[in-house]
This record gives sequence, structure tokens and C-alpha cells, in this order.
Amino acid sequence: MKKILIELIISVALILAVWLGLSKVDWMKLFNIEQVTQNTEEKIGDLFWKMLKSSETEISSDSIVSPVDSMLTRICTANTIDRKKVKLHLLRKDEINAFALPNNHLVIYSGLIAACENEAELYGVIGHELAHMEKNHVMNKLIKEIGLSVLISMTTGNGNAEMIKEAIKHLSSTAYDRSLETEADLTAVDYLEKAGINPEPFANFLYRLADQTKHLPSQIYWISTHPESKERAEEIIKHIKNKDVPKAEAKDSLRFERLKERVK
Amino acid sequence: MIATSNFHYQPDEHELEKASNSYVMSLIAIMGGLPLPIINLIATSIFYIGNLKGTYFVRWHCIQALLSQLFLLPFNSVGFWWTISIIFTPENITNNYIAYIVTIFVFNLTEFIGTIYTAVATRKGKHIEWWVIGGLTHLICKDR
Repeated sequence: MKKILIELIISVALILAVWLGLSKVDWMKLFNIEQVTQNTEEKIGDLFWKMLKSSETEISSDSIVSPVDSMLTRICTANTIDRKKVKLHLLRKDEINAFALPNNHLVIYSGLIAACENEAELYGVIGHELAHMEKNHVMNKLIKEIGLSVLISMTTGNGNAEMIKEAIKHLSSTAYDRSLETEADLTAVDYLEKAGINPEPFANFLYRLADQTKHLPSQIYWISTHPESKERAEEIIKHIKNKDVPKAEAKDSLRFERLKERVK
Repeated sequence: MIATSNFHYQPDEHELEKASNSYVMSLIAIMGGLPLPIINLIATSIFYIGNLKGTYFVRWHCIQALLSQLFLLPFNSVGFWWTISIIFTPENITNNYIAYIVTIFVFNLTEFIGTIYTAVATRKGKHIEWWVIGGLTHLICKDR
């Protein structure tokens, strides 16, 4: 019996040792997984944005883009995120929506800016989408739901326009997993804290839009694509409860009011 | 890992065929059951139950075939559910995951080759005892 037990332990130990040894090999590099994904992300992101741009109206007015751009820069700088890699796009559309496309394209609809009651709420949304980018949720979602091979075929010109439109629609109008949404929320809260912005209005934004969804469901995409908003807002509140978060509202609300006027 | 010894009696031709079939059964189960490791175990178990009233030699080899499946089952199950979680949850492919899959592939392949060898050898009348599994089989299977 003792001999069998020793043999059994040796066998299990051997399997674990082989696993441990093999895990020292950089398989991701060996199989070029990261490089292929990176190249595909760059191509697919630019392709998606080109397609989206052709069907929507992009806001190019400096008086609108500049304030949002400076908000994005503030979060990036405070969190040592390379601002240059994030491509900000504002689109004139009534839908309350914002989403991230592959290769760090951040798309915000004018409807969402207009729906924000204060600057801190918009900071929260930007932080949330930025978190999706930084945590690589965008490509992971596409690879899981569409498949890497289909994405690669799109970048090589084999994907038809309908397929690309469907993929964009998928990214802009369907939710991530609940765990990913929560991760993005809490990361956004951390971003806001580091940037000296009160994260509470972001939770309020989720609460408020969750209520409004009952009356105007088709317009509020950002909430309908981010389900269980009230529960998520509660998690944010719980997360910041015992933390010394910045309490002051974001400065220059007058500038934000002017921005809201311009996007209407 | 595999030791050849003499069984304490000389099995007849019919016994050799049945004992050898238990390994063939587990081989077929490996092929059919690759995506679902539990299938291997179920198939080998059914064959074992079917031979419960067989001779000592037949039962002994059925149990060895069954235990060889049972040994890798937890490792294969971890690999299976890890893969499922990568496909359906936010879990990502990592170096650890690829290393694990390579590891269980190597051990499954070793078991596969060992099973073929044992099936052929048993058919020829040799008594093969596997490392760990052989000893465990002796503990479980007693001559009536």
C-alpha cells in the first residue's frame, strides 16, 4: 500500500513538474498569439471606425471636441495612460451612447453628452470606456463572439460591409459580461479618484438613466447595453464608501453647460 | 512505467481476447471521448460491469484499464473546464493554460501508446502491470 501511495505521489508530482516546467516557456510569443492579435486589432479598429464614420456625422467643431478632449487627457495623464493612443471621436446622434472600438477608438454620441447633468458624469463614462480599452475587453469580446479567424478575414478584405456593420452594431449595442462591466466601473472609479474627480456623480448617472430607460428605452443605448445599472451603481457606492474620494464636483461647470448647449 | 510479469495461472485464449478487448474499449473511448473526458470513464466502466462475472485474468485487466482512465480523468477534466471557461467567460489564454494543455496531451499520448502496447501484449498472453495502476489493481481485484 505504501509503495502504491509513493508511486501515486511521484506520478502526480511528475505531471505537476512537467506543467510547471512547460509554463516557463513563453508560448504566447512562440505561437505569435499577441502579435497576431495586436496587428488584427489595429486593422480591425481602423476598419470599423472608417465604416462608422461613413454612416454617421462626426463633430469636428473645436469648441465641442476640445473640452471633451481635455477631459480625456486629464484622466489619461492622472493614470499614466498614453493619451496619444486613444482616438477620440464625437458623433452627432441623439442616442445616449458611448463605446470603445478596437485599437483604442473612443466613440461618444452627442446625445450622451447632453444627457449628463454635470462634467463628473461624463468623466465617469469616459473612464468606464477607457477601462474597457485598458483591460482589453473590446478585442476579447470580439474574439470570443465573432472569432479571431473571422476578424482576420475582415482585415484582409474578405469581410463584406454587412458583416463589418454587424460587428460594429454588436460592439455599440450589446453589453459586456456583468463581471467585465463591474470591472470597468470600478476601474473608472479609480481613474476618477486619481484625477481628483468625485466618482459619485457617475453612480448617480447610472441610477438616473436606469429610471429613464423605462420611459425612453430605445434612445438610451448606453444603459440598455449596460444592464443592471442600479446594482452597478450600488457597487460603485459600496466601493467608494470607506475611501477618501474627492468630494468636490468637477470644476468649471459653466464650461460644461456651454458644451451641452453646443451639442444640442 | 510498464512491467511484464507472469500471471499466477495461464489464461486460455478466450480470456486473452476479452482482457485485451478491455484496453481496445478504452482506446475507442479515448477517441470518442476526447472532448468530454468523462465518456472514457463511462465506456470503460460499462465494459468492466459487463465482465464482472468474468475470470480473474479478465477482471484484473478490465480494472487496470478502468483505473488508467480514472487516473487521468481529473487532469483532463481540469483541462476541459479551463478551455470552456476561456471560450465562454472573460478568461484569457495564458502561458500556464497552453503549458497545461501540452502537459495533459503528452500524458494522454503516453497512456494511449501504453494502452495499445498493453492490448497487443495481453492478446499475446503477456501479463502487463502498469506503474501505480498495477499495484492498485492488485488491491482491488481479488481471485475468488
